[in-house]
Amino acid sequence: MASLPKRIIKETERLVTDPVPGITAEPHDDNLRYFKVTIEGPAGSPYENGLFHLELYLPDDYPMEAPKVRFLTKIYHPNIDRLGRICLDILKTNWSPALQIRTVLLSVQALLASPNPNDPLANDVAEDWIKNETGAKAKAKEWTSLYAKKE
Amino acid sequence: MTQMKSKTTPITSDYIDDPNYEKVHNPIFDSENISSFTLTEITDHKTDSGVLSQDSEFEIEDFAYSDDEFVYDDEENNETYDSMLSQPIKQITKKEMSEGSVPNLNYEVLTTQNIFKNMLSRLDHLQPVFNIPREDILLLMQHYDWNEERLLENWTERMDELLVEIGVSQKTSAVATSLEKKAENPDISGVKTKRGIAFKQSFECIICCEDKDTQTFSLECGHEYCIDCYRHYIENKLHNGNVITCMDCSLALKNIDIDTVMGHDSSKKLMASSIKSFIQKHNKNYKWCPYADCKCIIHLKDTSSLAEYTRLHFSPFVKCDAEHRFCFNCGFETHAPADCNVTNAWVKKAKKESENLNWVMSHTKECPKCGVNIEKDGGCNHMKCSSCKYEFCWICEGDWAPHGKSFYQCTLYTNDEKSKKKESEDLSKIMKKYTFYYRVFNEHEISAKLDWKLGQTIGSKVRALQEKMDVSWIEGQFLTDSIKILNEAVEDLSELLQIKDPEQIMKNKLEFYNKSGYVENRMYALMECGRDLLCKGICKPTD
Ligand SMILES: [Zn+2]
Ligand SMILES: [Zn+2]
Ligand SMILES: [Zn+2]
Ligand SMILES: [Zn+2]
Ligand SMILES: [Zn+2]
Ligand SMILES: [Zn+2]
Repeated sequence: MASLPKRIIKETERLVTDPVPGITAEPHDDNLRYFKVTIEGPAGSPYENGLFHLELYLPDDYPMEAPKVRFLTKIYHPNIDRLGRICLDILKTNWSPALQIRTVLLSVQALLASPNPNDPLANDVAEDWIKNETGAKAKAKEWTSLYAKKE
Repeated sequence: MTQMKSKTTPITSDYIDDPNYEKVHNPIFDSENISSFTLTEITDHKTDSGVLSQDSEFEIEDFAYSDDEFVYDDEENNETYDSMLSQPIKQITKKEMSEGSVPNLNYEVLTTQNIFKNMLSRLDHLQPVFNIPREDILLLMQHYDWNEERLLENWTERMDELLVEIGVSQKTSAVATSLEKKAENPDISGVKTKRGIAFKQSFECIICCEDKDTQTFSLECGHEYCIDCYRHYIENKLHNGNVITCMDCSLALKNIDIDTVMGHDSSKKLMASSIKSFIQKHNKNYKWCPYADCKCIIHLKDTSSLAEYTRLHFSPFVKCDAEHRFCFNCGFETHAPADCNVTNAWVKKAKKESENLNWVMSHTKECPKCGVNIEKDGGCNHMKCSSCKYEFCWICEGDWAPHGKSFYQCTLYTNDEKSKKKESEDLSKIMKKYTFYYRVFNEHEISAKLDWKLGQTIGSKVRALQEKMDVSWIEGQFLTDSIKILNEAVEDLSELLQIKDPEQIMKNKLEFYNKSGYVENRMYALMECGRDLLCKGICKPTD
């Protein structure tokens, strides 16, 4: 593997020395572009008290290309599909090389706090969310306690 | 007027001579249509008179063309032949077919250069209204997808906001912004940076995190990065067709900035991709010619007529400058008499099944007798093994003899249930039938392509011949044109061209015209018939 760009080294260092509250990100021992990530469910959201595992990968062209992020923990959310893929503008068209791993993870955390059913990735969930928000949130809460238990 | 009459007569009589004419009522021969046709022809005529006089120098006697099914005989006088030479039959049929009962398709053929020029002239046109640099209007227009009205509406309402939104200028609520900036980036300290390239010693670029002596680039926002990062960034975005902004704010890079960073003319790449995305976004009106390597764009100004085409099971065929004909609706190459639905249903089905049937696509086949590999080089299904001289049909691989003169259709395939022992496997029968037609379909598709190639070759032969024999340019040109249209007659034609006797050539040429008109009329009659069946609901596309 080619040597790690300075940018990635710096970001990794800062993630360790100056971590974001509620978020951990650790590079894999064998592949320093691959991060194991956890995000705590934001307080006041149906995901509160849950701990969500994600994976984050920095493609070769990072930071010109956005990191690839995916939920590993099952989650009931209108912008996250069954495979854990996330619908977030900064991960796609609105990515800018000036953004960082930490900004991405913060945005994901913010997405948990305020789902956007009008720009859905999981259509059935979004429909549920619009038609019956209370019910959908209850289900999200249920899934959180089922699948996102803290150890 | 006698000349005019002679022009229309042979065409009408062709149809009447055709035994199938009665069966296929063709609306294009309504008296009303004929008169409008003649009107337009009169004007054409004048320009053609030179051709006529030239052609009439040739004495041409033998005009009859016949095959097994139809006797195609013409009792008209010599004048008829002359007019046929100057006015191929296709002109009436094609014209009338497309204008017959559906609205005219009003379209233009463009290239990206044309579109780019149009865009630039629109900018010039708008410049006095906006009174800002042309580059900025370009950004505005790109932002508004070249919808001038919408842009002008918004422009009068909220000019300043708009300029910020599209990244022409920065927020002007100066205090708030500079404080904001100061907080997150103390380097900026509210001072406007100059747009452009600078040279910095030991510059720390926050994108690559390298610390080096380097050129940098920045817009007025002061978000300054090393030139390598900027180049890499722009390079990735040149092909998206969107306006490129600063990496950290919405300020837009103009074409001149792109050229400054990337070297001259790079912004042209962006313009090209921007035109591509424009066409994609306006794909109801704009279509690329689907032929490989063709760069033509068809612009249909008014799409309302398309519904009428669909209703009448007509296909809206358009033609690019390279003479490629395709259906504006579905983008497929010529598919008459099948309409778009039938075609799409078929293509969908074919795609689904094609994995099992890939072998069909091959151009080569083993001779059924001796096993030598034979390559198909033209559209005709009549194959002759070069090794054992066995003559067979490309499609059914059966002996050629019973096919007789039907060179382009295998006539032997029938649902011969009697000969088959009653296997209760209906499915396999259906599959077999499907396979057969799938094969025929592909063979015809491949044939058409091969024919076109052959046509090209023959075209160049014609030109060579023309030089050798001193045939007039118009003569040769007309031959070449005809070849393009006439895939079906290619085989006969290639034979004709092997004849070295100049006297024979004129005679054969006439035969060729005659046949071409005949084939074309048959084709249109068939199209009409197919359309009729669809309109009356006798045939329907099924899955
Ligand atoms: Zn850099
Ligand atoms: Zn900026
Ligand atoms: Zn074309
Ligand atoms: Zn079509
Ligand atoms: Zn053979
Ligand atoms: Zn056959």
